[in-house]
Amino acid sequence: MGADIFVGLGLVLAAAAGASNVAFLFAGLVYVCIGLAYTELAAAYPVAGGGQYFVLRGLGDIFGFIAGWAVLLDFTIDVTLFAWTCVDYLSQLAPGLTQSTHPWVHFGATFLLIAGLCVLNVVGVRESTAFNGFVSALDVMSESAILCLGFLFAFRPELLIHNMQFHWPSPYELMLGISYAIISFVGLESISQAAQETQRPASIIPRTSIALILTILIFALAYSNLALGMQPWHPILDAHGHPMQFWQIFPNNPDNQGKAVALLASQVPFYGAIAALYVPILGAILLLISSNSGVFGSSRIAYAMSSTNLLPSLFQRVHAKFRTPATSIIAFCSVAILELIFAALPALDPGAKAVYARFFNGEDGLTFLADLYAFGAATSYSFVFLALIALRLTDPLSPRKFKIPLNVPMRFRGLRVEFPIVGVIGFCGIFAILLFTLYTHPIGRIAGPSWLILGIVFYIVYRRRKGLPVFHSQKRDWKRSQIDILRNAGELELMDEYLANIKATDELRAKAEA
Amino acid sequence: MLLLRGGLAIGMLIIGGLLLARMFATHAPLGAMLPGLVLGAAMIGLGAHRLSLIARALSSR
Repeated sequence: MGADIFVGLGLVLAAAAGASNVAFLFAGLVYVCIGLAYTELAAAYPVAGGGQYFVLRGLGDIFGFIAGWAVLLDFTIDVTLFAWTCVDYLSQLAPGLTQSTHPWVHFGATFLLIAGLCVLNVVGVRESTAFNGFVSALDVMSESAILCLGFLFAFRPELLIHNMQFHWPSPYELMLGISYAIISFVGLESISQAAQETQRPASIIPRTSIALILTILIFALAYSNLALGMQPWHPILDAHGHPMQFWQIFPNNPDNQGKAVALLASQVPFYGAIAALYVPILGAILLLISSNSGVFGSSRIAYAMSSTNLLPSLFQRVHAKFRTPATSIIAFCSVAILELIFAALPALDPGAKAVYARFFNGEDGLTFLADLYAFGAATSYSFVFLALIALRLTDPLSPRKFKIPLNVPMRFRGLRVEFPIVGVIGFCGIFAILLFTLYTHPIGRIAGPSWLILGIVFYIVYRRRKGLPVFHSQKRDWKRSQIDILRNAGELELMDEYLANIKATDELRAKAEA
Repeated sequence: MLLLRGGLAIGMLIIGGLLLARMFATHAPLGAMLPGLVLGAAMIGLGAHRLSLIARALSSR
């Protein structure tokens, strides 16, 4: 999850300038609500389907499909965006990989990374847990060192105030910045993905995820404030030889936007001399791991959707030799490569550049990918909030060891339920971000809804062929399913509590009928 | 391992304290100091939490 700031920081600084910290704050508050919603739902329903499973259960099949399809868009974009920025970070040490000057090399390197990850996942090479742990620990220590030393030696509070006063963006730019800021907080699906693999998830997930949410929020806010109030270690000069402030190197410079944390680290006094050498490599490794999480994440979601008849059984097929979901992996990596081609096209072909300039505000590859990422995230998260509210009303019997605070007790269909106020606040926040995305992203507002429409057509054809209801939900035994979920998760106390709740409710209903 | 973790926790406390001192020394308006203060407080909070966990682990031995 921590890798998102490596991508989001430069984009937000370029869009929201002096209000970048405000953009991160707005998106961060929404993110806290989303994080709490995911924590509650993942602890109550610990299955790998994640957001789409909650929506399927709360709102029904069609909405479950739309949410899952939006998550799939995000996972495929995740593969491309992180592979793209991985090359951007490496370009800090190897200038031959810079996208603006060597677009074909950059394209080729990104393509090879995606193809390599695809092959690795098909063959089924296990990721080394120890290596992941080491990189994560090194990342946390490095990010803490960048921030602490940056605030100790380079942060000037008066510079922060100056930038916020004199470089405040227009409302349009602020909305654009907020919609980019949300991509720094994407990755909450990983909480629910982890839930099924955790023993006693109801106890473990809340503790871990709340710590994670707070850490990422503090990091994102600290980075944006440091970038705005930073006195660069070495003077940065513009084309005319005038000194520039650190954040001013990002607007209209996609090369810099793609490696913001490495650039910031290199400008921290003293520590920057070492950080300039290893932070680009650390960033590249982290981004590659995140790109890989998109590859296996998409195949997992597709598997989960397929097992609930939202996608064809093709996506559950396992390779005879390697025992991996090869069809899913190849299909979604192909989508990721298609997205890469669309993102790289303006830099590779002058004709395509003219088309992008005419119809899409001249967006470059990085912003193309970020547009779609923001759209997919805002759409799926909006549905998750609605599912949270719906499940609180329709499934009050499922034990919730962790509950979002601020609830209003009420009665619904004869049962005592708790209405989540934070769910409503979070929905308003994320829906506002979805509207900002549609308003400010010329590609996102066309390609995002087109992806959803394409998926819905596919869904209608598939469900008709299978003889399943298209706009209604298939009948499912959620009680049986919940008992199985809790048993498989090792939450036997919660399973007993759930059975007792059902029994008590049945007795109450029988008494009322009598 | 416990010794290393203890050292890291004490390091966090010291850096958090230094950050708070550095921010207050600037005499800037509270709003401008806030990011540094929050980061410093977070480091102190996290360091103290880690130390309490280590102390609990040592006492249960």
